[in-house]
Amino acid sequence: MEKEVKMTLLHGWHVDRGANMAQFGEYDMPLWYPTGTKSEHLSVLTNAGIFDTSHMAVVIVEGSDSLDLLSHCFSKNLDACIGKQQNPLTLGKSVYGVFLNDAGDVIDDAIVFQIDEALHMLVVNAGMGGAISAQLLANVDRRSVNIADLTDRVGKLDVQGPLAAKILIKVLKNPEAVFDKLPYFSFKGHFDSNSSAAETVLLDDDTPILLSRTGYTGEFGFEIFVEPDQFTRTWDTFIEAGEEFGLMACGLAARDSLRAGAVLPLSHQDIGPWPFLSNPWPFALAYNADYSGFTKQFIGSEALLKTDYCEYTLPFAGYDLRKVSINDPAIVTDDAGNQIGKVLTCATDMAIGRHKDRIYSIVSPDKPENFNPRGLCCGFVKTTVRLSRGQTVTLSDNRRKIKVEIVNDIRPNRTARLALSRFLN
Amino acid sequence: MKEIDELNLPDNLRYAKDHEWTRLEGDKVKIGIDDYAQDQLGDIVFVELPEVGATFAKGEEFGTVESVKAVSELFMPVGGEILAINTALEETPEHVNNSPYEDGWMIEIKPSDVAEMDALMDKEAYIKMLKG
Repeated sequence: MEKEVKMTLLHGWHVDRGANMAQFGEYDMPLWYPTGTKSEHLSVLTNAGIFDTSHMAVVIVEGSDSLDLLSHCFSKNLDACIGKQQNPLTLGKSVYGVFLNDAGDVIDDAIVFQIDEALHMLVVNAGMGGAISAQLLANVDRRSVNIADLTDRVGKLDVQGPLAAKILIKVLKNPEAVFDKLPYFSFKGHFDSNSSAAETVLLDDDTPILLSRTGYTGEFGFEIFVEPDQFTRTWDTFIEAGEEFGLMACGLAARDSLRAGAVLPLSHQDIGPWPFLSNPWPFALAYNADYSGFTKQFIGSEALLKTDYCEYTLPFAGYDLRKVSINDPAIVTDDAGNQIGKVLTCATDMAIGRHKDRIYSIVSPDKPENFNPRGLCCGFVKTTVRLSRGQTVTLSDNRRKIKVEIVNDIRPNRTARLALSRFLN
Repeated sequence: MKEIDELNLPDNLRYAKDHEWTRLEGDKVKIGIDDYAQDQLGDIVFVELPEVGATFAKGEEFGTVESVKAVSELFMPVGGEILAINTALEETPEHVNNSPYEDGWMIEIKPSDVAEMDALMDKEAYIKMLKG
């Protein structure tokens, strides 16, 4: 039986603005607005974009054994995951990782937020709240912990781009205090008004929010969590405050092209039911210093160490903006014409172009004069042979063949990790 | 997404089920994609057109149009020989979004049988088809 299509609280807003809607996961979501994907994509590099991401699921893990349960189920070592020193996850910090099954395959990727010593918030993908809650529940054993799947019970919006902080200054009650010590992958406040942390970050109208220095674009910005009954009002507040800064509502198409250029995986497309190995995201695992093993045991860790799986997931960048369709499906061939893999993601990052032997973005400080790129296709391939940076392969679907280059990185000069203070002047 | 009654569908064109438009100009026919197609596709970033002099039968693929969402085939609404292509689309494919019937035209052909135009839909029939 077909599942009913879900809508976020902003569905009416999207439709009223003339968005091109399509089903993503279980949700009817905006792909783009009449402004068009290209303008939306570029706005996140030059100004700011706002995304309705309340289709994503929040799971709360609470109780004295919360950390212990997550240590067992989640791929990062929460006792040693912050910074170069590998410090423990502390209050106000978050960390990216994956939930694996016993075979080492990906159930979903997630960000774990430490809200309190015995309280963690997990943000997982649309429709995955149930599966991740079930995985945690199945592994509780004698641990003292409560798991609550808050799917559709938390509003979430992302404001991403260099002017995001200036927009927040306009809507926050106490921006200076909030912005003090708020590096990448940290957060403040809570959307739950019963939490003592709810006082920390308030909008001008006293709405409590959880404000996080994270996102899915590779650019500077924030993810904002808010109670559902204040969500549409909060969205309107940001839209209004952002007007003078060129804030643009962005759909899922721009979200996809931005994340592809930022070398971020899409769960169930770039990572999924195969071992989480030999990919551009080893930082999602609790590896030891020389990558010979893990600093802890977790579900799937043993399988990853023992498996003879040998496929390689690699980022690529093309030479122009033409794409292949992964639905055809699209295959990867080497120079001799042998099929060596398939294409996982192929999108066009419309803010980048090649000049001589380099890729520049429209915001690269050293970009060539009169640089006006039309974009490059980019994404991920999964191959049965190990390829190195600079090698070229051919991607083909039913329609065309395109030559692409295996790369380590795609869109240069991304801003996600830069200090917040750089965006205040 | 535009509602059907918001679409710009000029009266003087004939429409194909694959959303190409045709306009008879003397003994030549100009062809492009209509407002419905460009709205559904979203930002058009690349248009692949045939060589001048090539000949295609009605229904044959003559090129592709690539949007941020997908790559779609372009089909001949009437058969004929390619007399001219809109080379401006190489640099400014967004003409197809902004001006589908003027700056965004794609090919000009010498129809092999101008009577094939009769099988295409007028605006009224086309709207009826879109409404399903």
